[in-house]
Amino acid sequence: MNNPVVKLEKLYKSYYLAGNKEVPVLKDINIEIFQGEFVGIMGASGSGKSTMLNILGLLDLPTEGSYQLNGIHTESFSDNQLAEKRNEAIGFIFQNFNLFPHLTVEENIEVPMVYAEKSRKERRRFACDLADRVGLGHRLGHKPNELSGGERQRIAIARSLSNSPAFLLADEPTGNLDEKTSKEIMEMFHELHAAGTTIVMVTHNPEYENDFDRLIRLRDGRVVSKEEFLRGSHA
Amino acid sequence: MRKVDLLRLSIHNLLLHKIRSFLTSLGIIFGVGSVIAMLAISEGAKKQALKQIEAMGINNIIVYTKPPSLEGKNATDTSKQSMVEELGLTKQNLTHIQKMDNVKEVATMRNSRKIAQKGVTQLDVKLVSVTDNLSNILGIKTTSGRWLTPVDNANRSMVCVIGKNIRRKMYNLGEQKIIGSHLRIKDAILKVVGIVEDGGSNTVPEIGGINDMIFFPQKTSESLFKNVAIESAGGRSFKMTQIDYDVFFVRVKNTESIDHTARRIKAYLKKNHSKTKDWDLIVPLELFKQKEQTQQIFTIVMASIAGISLIVGGVGIMNIMLANIYERRKEIGTRRALGAKQSDILNQFLVETVFLTSIGGIIGVLLGVGISQAVTHYAKWPTVYSIWSIVFSLVISSAVGIIFGTYPAIKASKQSPIEVLRSE
Repeated sequence: MNNPVVKLEKLYKSYYLAGNKEVPVLKDINIEIFQGEFVGIMGASGSGKSTMLNILGLLDLPTEGSYQLNGIHTESFSDNQLAEKRNEAIGFIFQNFNLFPHLTVEENIEVPMVYAEKSRKERRRFACDLADRVGLGHRLGHKPNELSGGERQRIAIARSLSNSPAFLLADEPTGNLDEKTSKEIMEMFHELHAAGTTIVMVTHNPEYENDFDRLIRLRDGRVVSKEEFLRGSHA
Repeated sequence: MRKVDLLRLSIHNLLLHKIRSFLTSLGIIFGVGSVIAMLAISEGAKKQALKQIEAMGINNIIVYTKPPSLEGKNATDTSKQSMVEELGLTKQNLTHIQKMDNVKEVATMRNSRKIAQKGVTQLDVKLVSVTDNLSNILGIKTTSGRWLTPVDNANRSMVCVIGKNIRRKMYNLGEQKIIGSHLRIKDAILKVVGIVEDGGSNTVPEIGGINDMIFFPQKTSESLFKNVAIESAGGRSFKMTQIDYDVFFVRVKNTESIDHTARRIKAYLKKNHSKTKDWDLIVPLELFKQKEQTQQIFTIVMASIAGISLIVGGVGIMNIMLANIYERRKEIGTRRALGAKQSDILNQFLVETVFLTSIGGIIGVLLGVGISQAVTHYAKWPTVYSIWSIVFSLVISSAVGIIFGTYPAIKASKQSPIEVLRSE
C-alpha cells in the first residue's frame, strides 16, 4: 500500500492531576490508517476513546511518541499550525452535529472555507455542490432547526468535506439518531468510502463492527486484539 | 479569516440579539450623549463670554475713571475741598500714556448725560465725546453714513454719530433720511452724519453699551461744554467735579507684552493719583485668560465625570461579553475544531465589542446633539458643538470597546475546543 494518512507511533498520553499525579490514558499506541480506508475505533467509556479522538483531531497533543499526518510530524505544532491543519486536513463530524443555529445550511457548510480564506464566490459554488452531494441541494437557505436530525447530520457531513480533507473524523455520528436515520447516515459514509474518502469513526456501537474495513479496539488505553477486547467486555 | 468575513460575522452576531445589543450599549450611549451635550452647552457659554471680552479688544488696555465711593475719604474731606473737584483721568495722563513704549494709539471717551431733542421727542441720552480712532480700536461698524473724522475734530464740527437704539427711539424714518438731519442737545445743534451698530455686546466699563450712545468729536465737546459735571452732594450743597476723560482705550503694538504695559500704566497712575484711587484698569486679554482657565477647570471636571460614565459603560459591556462568551462556548469550540485560530476568535469578539461601542457612540452623538438643540430651543442657551468633540467621542467609544473587549475576547480565544467535541 501507499504511505499512511495517519501514523501513530509509540504514542502515550497522560493527564496530570493535582499533586503531579500522573494518570496514563493512552499507552503505546501504534496505528496506521491508509488512504481510502474506513476505520472504526471502538471502546467502552474510559478506554481512552475520547482522548484518542482529540489527538487524531489535533485538538490535543500526545505526551510522548509521534503522530504523522500525511507524513508530517505534528507533535511540536504551534496552536496556529494545529488550527490550520484541522482546517485543511480533517473533516469533523460530531455526535450532536454542532451546526450553527443562526446560519443557513449554505453558511454552515461554508464555515471551514471561511477560515481557509476562500472567496465568497468560491465558497458558494462549493457549498452548493456539497449540499447536492448529500442530497440537500434544495435546503440551502434553511436554518438547521428547520431540518430533521438526519438532514442535519448530512449537512454536517457536507461541511466536513468542504476543504477536501485528508480524512473524516466522525465521533458517534449516529448517536443522536433513530435507527432508520442511522442506517441512512451509515449508507452515506459507505458511499463516501466507495468514492475513496478516508474515514475514521469513533463509536461504541458493536452493531457497526462489520461496516468497517478495519476495527481498532481500545481497552484501558491500549489497542487490543478482538479476543482480548471481548474478554475484557465480559469481565 | 478575511477581514470582510470577520466584519460580516460580527455584524451578523450583533443583529441576532438586537435588543440585547442595544441595552448593552446604553451605557455608552448615555455617556457619550451627556459628554456631547455638556460640551456643547459649556462651549456655548464660553463662546458667549469670550465674545463679550473680545469685543473690548484683545490688543487693548482699558483705563477708566472710577469715582471713589462716597462713604470713603470723600465724605469726610468735603470741608477742605475747593469749588471744583478734579477727578479721574487727566490730559496729562493721556499725553504720558501716549508716549509709552508699547502704546500704538489711545482713543478717549468722555461721557455726559444730556437731553437730546428732535421735534417734540425728548430723550435722556449718553452724549459721548470721542477721538476719531475709537471706531478703529473698538471695531465699531457704521450701518449708514460715516464715522467721525480727524477733520471733524480739528474743525470742532457740529456733527454726531448715533447708536442704533437712539435711532430707534428718536426716529421712525429710514436710515438714509436720518443722515443729514439735526439733533438739538442743550444749546447746540448737531448734524447726524452716521449711524453705528455694535453686533456683539460691546460694553464700556462705567458707561455702557455703544448702541445707546451719541458720539461727537472731542474738541467740539471741549468748546461746547466745559468738562464739569454738577451733581447733588446731598442736602442743599452741590458738588462740581471736573473729569477730563472717562475712558482711555490704549491699543498696544505688541500683544505679548500687554501685561507689562498694563503694569507700567498702573504704576504711573498710582503715583499720579496718589491721593485717591479714582481710576481702574482692565486688560481684556487677562480676563480672557482667566475665563479660559476657569473654563479649563470646568472642562477637566466634566471630562472626569464623562470618563467615569464611560468606564461604567465599558464595565457593563465587559460583563455582558463575558456572559455572552460563556453562553457561546459551544460555538467557539466548534469554530476552533473547524479551523479557527485563537486570533480568529479573539478578533471576532473584539470586533463585536468595538462595533457595539462605536454604534453606541454614534447614537450617543446624535442624542447629545439632540439634547443641546433642545436646550437651545427651550432654554435659549447658546450651544456650540465642534467636529472635534464629536470625533473625539467616537474615538473614545471605540477605545472603550477595545479596552473592555480585549479581556473577554482573550478569554474566548483561550477556551479549549476539546470539551465541545463530546459535549452531551
